[in-house]
Amino acid sequence: MRLRVSLAAMNRPEPISLPSDQAGIIGQGESELRRTLDNAGIGTWSWDLVAGKISLSKTCAELMGATKLDGEHPEVLQNLIHPDDREMRANAIQHAIERGDAYDIDYRVVRPDGQVCWLRSRGRVQSDASGHPLLLRGVVLNIDARKQAEDELRARQEHLRSILDTVPEGMIVIDEHGIMVSFSPTAERLFGYMAEEVIGRNIKMLMPEPDQSRHDSYLRRYQETGEKRIIGIGRLVTGLRRNGSVFPMELSVGEMRSGDRVFYTGFINDVSERQATQVRLREIQAELVHMSRLTAMGEMASTLAHELNQPLAAISNYMKGCKRLLEQGDRNALPKISEALEKSAEQAIRAGQIIRRLRDFVSRGETEKRFERVAQLIEEASALALVGGRERGVITRFEFDHQAQSVMVDRVQVQQILVNLLRNAMDAMQSSSRRELTVAARSNSEGMVEIVVSDTGPGIAEEVADKLFQPFVTTKPSGMGVGLSISRTIAEAHGGNLWVESNPAGGASFHLTLPAAENGAAAYAE
Amino acid sequence: MLVHVVDDDDAMRESLEFLLGSAGFSVRLYDSAKPLLDALDSIASGCILTDVRMPETDGFELLRRVRESSRPVPVIVMTGHGDVPLAVEAMKLGAHDFVEKPFDDEALVALLRSALEKTAASEPADPGLAEFKTRLSTLSQRERQVLDGLIAGDANKVIAIDLDISPRTVEIYRAKLMSKMRASSLSELVRFAVRAGIA
Repeated sequence: MRLRVSLAAMNRPEPISLPSDQAGIIGQGESELRRTLDNAGIGTWSWDLVAGKISLSKTCAELMGATKLDGEHPEVLQNLIHPDDREMRANAIQHAIERGDAYDIDYRVVRPDGQVCWLRSRGRVQSDASGHPLLLRGVVLNIDARKQAEDELRARQEHLRSILDTVPEGMIVIDEHGIMVSFSPTAERLFGYMAEEVIGRNIKMLMPEPDQSRHDSYLRRYQETGEKRIIGIGRLVTGLRRNGSVFPMELSVGEMRSGDRVFYTGFINDVSERQATQVRLREIQAELVHMSRLTAMGEMASTLAHELNQPLAAISNYMKGCKRLLEQGDRNALPKISEALEKSAEQAIRAGQIIRRLRDFVSRGETEKRFERVAQLIEEASALALVGGRERGVITRFEFDHQAQSVMVDRVQVQQILVNLLRNAMDAMQSSSRRELTVAARSNSEGMVEIVVSDTGPGIAEEVADKLFQPFVTTKPSGMGVGLSISRTIAEAHGGNLWVESNPAGGASFHLTLPAAENGAAAYAE
Repeated sequence: MLVHVVDDDDAMRESLEFLLGSAGFSVRLYDSAKPLLDALDSIASGCILTDVRMPETDGFELLRRVRESSRPVPVIVMTGHGDVPLAVEAMKLGAHDFVEKPFDDEALVALLRSALEKTAASEPADPGLAEFKTRLSTLSQRERQVLDGLIAGDANKVIAIDLDISPRTVEIYRAKLMSKMRASSLSELVRFAVRAGIA
């Protein structure tokens, strides 16, 4: 928006008379000052608007590449300016003259040897009592070094920006209060917001609950304690898109201090796709592990069948024998019958123990129990399980009770249960109009943490609910029906339980209980 | 009416003693094959009821040794339910019969009685065997192939692959041949097949 004012306008100053004292404008003290400035590399100049003549200090002439110091027409200087900057300079001067005030501009001059040099020029108009401009004067200094540094900085910034704009990771910068100050194009794509819509707003809007309402306190806690839970560590968390869907993302956060202020830069990697592959891979692995166990079971089957057959056959023998004795009606045989019943009861217990061993075998694996944060267990499992949830229009809510901190579990096994429950819930809601998945964690009075996965699917018929945890019972068209039975076995192996309830509003709730870690132990889970 | 029961499982032995005792048999218990084999020469009467899976000397070895002895008392082998290959093997080795665990007490008692009678009157002609052979000749080629597979202890699926037909078809042939042979169970089929010398 440059004013198009030709320099010719300046060449026609209004004909006004120059007051006599104006000639002595450069007095003794002033020439002293001019020398000092010259020595300091600051050029001074004046432009007699009435006479249309300029006067330059020695340094000023050198800086601008002018050959004569006095009496030249201002047009001489204009011709020394880089052609691209001439109009801008002319406009600035014109503007200052019209308004009777000052200007401050940067421009380039082209020296006779072709060298381009950046100068800064400041000038001020002097007017007579009636406001007519008489004189323009000011200083010129070399800003070539500064300009070069600025150019380099800008080039570097542009370079950085172009990199950040193209890296597959989204980048968001927030200040110490969580207010977004930068939002990269990739972040725009990931979250579905434009940068200008979110800059100035709190980053918590990009998180599902419970993080949304807690993020401010996370920041405060970090600033107060310096305890790093995510900064410099990186974690798998869940992001909330504009449309309300969630997605798994890998977040790494860096901290930057600038003066008194602190900024946090988050790099975000949408891992939905990678995780979809990983989920499939894990499914296959899990299937393989399970199949290998089944195969091993097949190999063991004849042994186990034989082993189980022993007590069952013995019980049958005792019972049939008792029946025979009873039919014979001999009262003296009663003690023998009583003993036989006792022994057959023992054999029934033995059969039970064999079955328990079998179950232990099926659920066997490398179990390594550690203190795990409930929220993290759920978040990571959700990040995995909810892949594709957006496409299916599933809205997920998390409700974590502060009391439900840590549990002592084998992370992989428990996450296997959670992934199983979450995938089941998503599958169950496939043909529902309302698709809301809620994962809640709370501690109950028995020292257990209860995790509840609720869906708004069709629910589970009561006659199926009883059988649901038996192996090879499934409601899915494709499915082996082993997921829930294995899940329950794992839960029980942890000293917990797994059961299903119907929601009053429809849908099913799967309840998983796990022993809560003691408060002292909770710290280790952090 | 003496039955020598050989089983390494305490509960099995004791419960058999109780059951057979209640049915009027005298029972002698052995926790492995060795003590019985050691006393074999002194065993003048009765029959042997033995488990197959035992540490050291198993039921088959016991059977072989008894058959080779000067007094081959009848041996009844206890097998797991549906363990056809084991039953076939036992019959081929000359077992009087086999019985599946858990036992049908009536069947077991009848079996023991027939074995004990056999000791008295040697090799009675089995009227059922001739009928079995007659019925066998009425089977189609496919039915006979499926029968051979069953007696070999193959599962339906394996038979299907061997004959290059679907498992469903095997099921149909199987049902047909069972009805033609008037066999009420697979073990009955196996029993006659071994005696008829086709297994």
